[in-house]
Amino acid sequence: MNTIAYDAYTIFWRELKRYKKSRSGVLIRLIQPAIWIIVVGNIFSETQPLIQSVGFEGEYIEFMAPGVIILTAIFTSIFGGVNTLWDRRYGFMNKALTSPISRSAIAIGKMSAISLIAALQASLIIGIALAIGVTFPNPLMIIPIMGIVILFSLGFSGISVTLAATAKSQETFWGMINLLGMPLFMLSPALFPLELLPDWLAVVAKLNPVTYTILLVRELMTGVSEGGVPILISVGVIFAFVVAMVGIASYVFTREVNKPF
Amino acid sequence: MYSIETKSLTKSFGDLVAVNDISFSVEKGEIFGFLGPNGAGKSTTMMIFTTLLKPTNGNAFVGGFDVIKNSKQVRENIGFVQQETTVDEYLSGRENLLLQAKLNHIPKNEINQRIDEVLDLIELSDKQDESVVTYSGGMRKRLDIAGGLLHHPRVLFLDEPTVGLDIQTRRKIWQYIKKIHTQFDMTIFLTTHYMEEADSLCDRIGIIDHGKIQVIDTPKNMKNDLGNEIISLVIESNSNYDSFLQELKKIEFIKKINEAGSKLTLFTSNGTEVIPKIFQISSELGIKIKSISLTQPTLDDVFISYTGHEIRDDDSKYNRRREHAKMKRLRQ
Repeated sequence: MNTIAYDAYTIFWRELKRYKKSRSGVLIRLIQPAIWIIVVGNIFSETQPLIQSVGFEGEYIEFMAPGVIILTAIFTSIFGGVNTLWDRRYGFMNKALTSPISRSAIAIGKMSAISLIAALQASLIIGIALAIGVTFPNPLMIIPIMGIVILFSLGFSGISVTLAATAKSQETFWGMINLLGMPLFMLSPALFPLELLPDWLAVVAKLNPVTYTILLVRELMTGVSEGGVPILISVGVIFAFVVAMVGIASYVFTREVNKPF
Repeated sequence: MYSIETKSLTKSFGDLVAVNDISFSVEKGEIFGFLGPNGAGKSTTMMIFTTLLKPTNGNAFVGGFDVIKNSKQVRENIGFVQQETTVDEYLSGRENLLLQAKLNHIPKNEINQRIDEVLDLIELSDKQDESVVTYSGGMRKRLDIAGGLLHHPRVLFLDEPTVGLDIQTRRKIWQYIKKIHTQFDMTIFLTTHYMEEADSLCDRIGIIDHGKIQVIDTPKNMKNDLGNEIISLVIESNSNYDSFLQELKKIEFIKKINEAGSKLTLFTSNGTEVIPKIFQISSELGIKIKSISLTQPTLDDVFISYTGHEIRDDDSKYNRRREHAKMKRLRQ
C-alpha cells in the first residue's frame, strides 16, 4: 500500500510539473467558463423572476455561478486524461510499465493530478465570479466547496482516464468526451432550477451526479436549499460516484495498458 | 546463470508469426546485438524481454527471472531505452532523471548522487537545469540512456539506440555505451539495423530475419567464416553458365557463391590465387568477364550470405497487405 501511494505520488508530481510549465494551457482552459459566467450570466439576467419562483432571492448570475464552477471542473477533468494517449504514443507509458511501479498507481496518480488541476482552474473561476460581483454570504464556505470540487473532479477524471485507456486514437477520445461532457452539464440544474425542468428531464437529471454536486455547491455558496435534496444525500451520491469511477478507471486502465498500443 | 535466456520463444499475432521459435542465451556482462531489417522481429523480442508483451509460446528469462511469472522482479532488474526518445520536454534534464529515479524506487538518500553520476557520464551536467525542449536530438538520446542506467540494472535494453541520428552523434553514443559497459559492468542487449553499429559495439551478434535467428556469433568469426576475402564479378552469361558455376565450386578455396543474375559473389580465402583460376575457367567456357574485384568482407556481406538479401528493405519482398494486417493486429 505504501509503495502504491509513493508511486501514485511520482506520477502525480510529473503531471503537475507538466501543468505548471504550460502557462498558456491554464488560460485557454479558463476561456470557456469565463464566457459562460460573463456572457450567459448577463444574457439570462432577466430570468430572475424564474429563479425567484423557487425561493432564490439573488441575481441570476449568483444562481448560475456554482454551475459554472462545476462546468470548469467537468471540462478540465474530463479532458485531463488525454495525455494518457500521448504517453502511450510517445513512450512514457512503456517507460513506466517497464519500471517496478504498479499499473493502478499510474492511473491513481493521473486522476489525483487531474482533479487538483481542475480544482485550481475552478478556483480561478471563483476569482472571476467575485470580480464581477458575485458575493459569498459566508466566505469560509469556500473551503468545503473546494473539497467538493476536488472530489467531484476525481470522479470525472476517472471517466476521462477510462476513456483514454480504451480509445486507440485521439479522434475516438474527443468524440466520446464531447458526447458525454455537454449533456452531463445540460442535464443538471446548472443554469436553471431543478423544479423548472419538465418531469421526464428531472428524472434524468436526478440520475446525474453533476446534479447533486451543483445543488450542494449552490447551497453552500448562497445558503438557499433548492431541489429538495438533503445535503447528506448529495454528499453520499458524490462519494459513491467517486469510489465507483476511481475503481473502474484503475481496473480498465490496468487491463488496457497491458495490451499493445 | 545467463543474463538472458530463451527457449523456443514464439510470438504470433493471429496467423502472423513475428518471432518464430527462437532459443539463445546472453552471458553476464556481454554486449549482445540483434541485427536485422525492419519487421524482422527484433522489437517484438525486446518487448517480450521487457515484459510489455507476453509470448505465445516458449519461455524467456531475464536476470534469472521468468518474464511471465516474475514480471515484477524482471522490471526491477532491467533498464529499457526505447527507440523513440521518451524524455519529457516540459521538464528539465535533471527533473527527467528524478522522475526516472522515483519510478525505479531508488532510495531517497541516493537519488541525488546517482543523478550526478549519470549526468557526469553522459556529459550533460552543465545543461541539467535547462528544459529538454532546448536539447538537440543527440542530447535527448543521451538523457534517455542515462535514465535507463540510474538504478544500475543488471540488464540494459537499447532498442535501436542511434536510429535517426547523424553519424557523428551516432559515434558519440557508441562511446557512451562502451563507457557505460565498462563502468557498470552491465549486460547490454541492443537491436540495430546498422551493420557498423553491431560491428563496433557487440561482443556477439544474432542475425534475425523473418522472426528466426539465422546465426549467432562474434562479428569477427562471422566475417572469418566467409573466408577472409570476397571476389565480386560481373559476367556476360551464355549457355555454359551452369557448367561455369560447377567449375567455380570445384576451386578449393571458395566457400560460398551467391548469384544475383549476372553478378556473382564468391566468399573465399587466398583470393589472389583464385582469380587466375577463374579467368582460366571462363576462357575455356567462353564466358566473358566484364569486371572483377577483390575485397575484405564486411558485416553487410555476412548479412547477405545468411539471409540471401541485403539489410535494406527489399521492396519486392515487402508485402503491403501482410504488413497492414500485422499493424492492425498490433493495435488491437
